[in-house]
Amino acid sequence: MEKFLDFIVRAGSLDRRIIFVVIALVVILPLFFPLGLPIRPTNSSQDVYNAVEELEAGDKALVSFEYGPSTKPEIHPMAIALLRHLFEKDVKVYITCLWPDGQFMAMEALEQVADNQYNKVYGEDYVLLGYRPGAEAVIKGLVSNIRKVFTVDSQGNFLDDIPMMVGVNQVKDFDYLFSASAGYPGTVEWVQYAADPTGVTMSTGTTSIQVNEVMPYVQSGQIVGILGGMPGAAEYESLIGQAGIGTSGMDAQSVAHLVIVGFIIFGNISFFVERRRSKKY
Amino acid sequence: MNGSEIFGAWVAVFLTFGIFSYLYKDNPFYKISEHVFVGVSAGYWMAMAFWTQVQPNLFGRLWPVPEGEISGFFMKAWYGIYNFFGFVLPSVFPDGGIDKGHGHDPHFMYILPFALGIMMLLSVASKLSWLARLGIAYTVGMAAGLRAYAFLNSNVLGQIKGSAVSFVDMPFFSLTGVSVFNNLIILVGTITGLLYFYFSKEHKGSFGKVTRVGIYFLMISFGASFGFAVMGRISLLIGRFTDLITYGSSTYNYASLWVLVLMIVLLAVWTFKGDKEVAS
Repeated sequence: MEKFLDFIVRAGSLDRRIIFVVIALVVILPLFFPLGLPIRPTNSSQDVYNAVEELEAGDKALVSFEYGPSTKPEIHPMAIALLRHLFEKDVKVYITCLWPDGQFMAMEALEQVADNQYNKVYGEDYVLLGYRPGAEAVIKGLVSNIRKVFTVDSQGNFLDDIPMMVGVNQVKDFDYLFSASAGYPGTVEWVQYAADPTGVTMSTGTTSIQVNEVMPYVQSGQIVGILGGMPGAAEYESLIGQAGIGTSGMDAQSVAHLVIVGFIIFGNISFFVERRRSKKY
Repeated sequence: MNGSEIFGAWVAVFLTFGIFSYLYKDNPFYKISEHVFVGVSAGYWMAMAFWTQVQPNLFGRLWPVPEGEISGFFMKAWYGIYNFFGFVLPSVFPDGGIDKGHGHDPHFMYILPFALGIMMLLSVASKLSWLARLGIAYTVGMAAGLRAYAFLNSNVLGQIKGSAVSFVDMPFFSLTGVSVFNNLIILVGTITGLLYFYFSKEHKGSFGKVTRVGIYFLMISFGASFGFAVMGRISLLIGRFTDLITYGSSTYNYASLWVLVLMIVLLAVWTFKGDKEVAS
């Protein structure tokens, strides 16, 4: 028994680099050898799905891209899944970006979904308005008059020359808002300056670390549903029946979580054993 | 697959491994990757802000393409300034005015933000840096005013409404939907959590017991935040590994494998050399 406790105490002071290697291995191996663990949608993901399901063909959805390459693995899969769902239902998609790199994320997602998968027509089925700096001031501008903020889209076309922009003047003209957000400016600002003042139904997809910050707005009904990080994306992919990047990463995610939980428990046991010994002597 | 895409993949692989190499210890690869990241981010952000906001929305409003011939002394002088700028920077100020859909009449109101912006830039000049305060004062005042209402409406009123839970017409307990039990937790958590931040009374006796419950709720919240943070970081790691696996294929000339091997060898040489220097 004493030898076993010795081993636990020694293992508790393991070189952190060994832990890094173990985590790297448990993330990489499931990517090569998928386990196919089941994905069950949570209520909050189901709420986002239901909100989009309630839209009808021709309805207008404003999707905002507020993330960049650094958070792409978490947000991009859900943005793609959401666009698939919207285009599947023939909803008209209007895209804005509050982050400069969000524009390139949007371009990549649109090329994959709108152009290659659904053959949608630019300017008739979807439009990329592009990026404008100014954070909440941009949202406030969109709420009062879109043309004050955007006179041209991301390709330099005048808004008045774009067919799907006819009759679209402010946020109130949209039927649905979605913020794909990785921080500031993002979901919280859209709630404060657009969804709450106008009453337009809004859902969001955020990084995992933001979920706790945004959840109170979901709980109070200010936001209808939230997709939280890669698991949220995987759940949405399972709801629309199109597996994507989110689903393929979930095995690695689940195994890594188990290993981390194991490390935490092991570290605590080691700590308590060591503390008991130091008290003893 | 064209050459530039393959080159881009190699750069991405190098920078990814460069950042990961910090897990071993601080080293030149990490330094290069870090500096490139900071420099490119700052440059990219500045270029985007200029070409999507300053040029079309500020200069485009101050000097739009005029309708017909420019007449009048003032307008000729105004567009004379533009022509001077155009001579210096023709890509920013194209010939004849900027056509970004702002009509044909200059919006002189925009001279004000233009001037405030220049004042903020003057903070680099020691004698004129006091002017920057005007620009900063405007920004701070505007942001405070803009945010005050939104916070009051969404974070105070909206959250009070959200915390006003019901206890009728619902099951006592439910794992998936609303229930009396869940609403009780919201009620107790909100009240005890708020009481914990009430510092005008010492946290002793029955009040101390209530605030202790508040601490437990806060700790559960911090635990959830930690769990979500771990989940997020693992997702990002999966994203990087997915890219590295893609770039490790023959399409990209096995970029991941080559860079990894090369970096390990060079790091080993660098460490060995460093150890020798320390020893000598």
